[in-house]
Amino acid sequence: MILTFYLGLVLLVLGVVGVAFPADKTPLTRLINLEVPAFGLLLIMLAYNEMLALLTFIATTTITTFVLVRVIQRRNAV
Amino acid sequence: MTTYLMILMALVAVLGAGIALLSKNAFNKLIGVAVIASGTIPFIAIAGYLDVAVAVALLLPLTTIMILKITVGDDV
Repeated sequence: MILTFYLGLVLLVLGVVGVAFPADKTPLTRLINLEVPAFGLLLIMLAYNEMLALLTFIATTTITTFVLVRVIQRRNAV
Repeated sequence: MTTYLMILMALVAVLGAGIALLSKNAFNKLIGVAVIASGTIPFIAIAGYLDVAVAVALLLPLTTIMILKITVGDDV
């Protein structure tokens, strides 16, 4: 339980720093780095036994990624 | 026993985060994200939420496939 919470915190903080200051500032890099804090938040929700929040968050993250991929595709095409 | 396994899986997840955040190539970053998932799903399974573990294992490859669609064009 404690380990889950602290692993979630580590992933969340590392991922947020990675999204805010990536190595090369392309939208694709930020989009892939965005997966890391998502897993951190998932672990923190797991530490508090919020199952419904977990399921909703996973589904929402996937749909958000679909939308962002469409946006980046549209931006590259123009 | 379970504690040792959890520490091991936490190390796997942190190593995957290092791969995903530090490498420059987009394909290497996607592999790092998959390694994070392989370190995270055992935590969900140990907590007893097998349905959530199934949902994560099914939805994460979909995300990877969608990101691969825009990865193909711009590098290698």
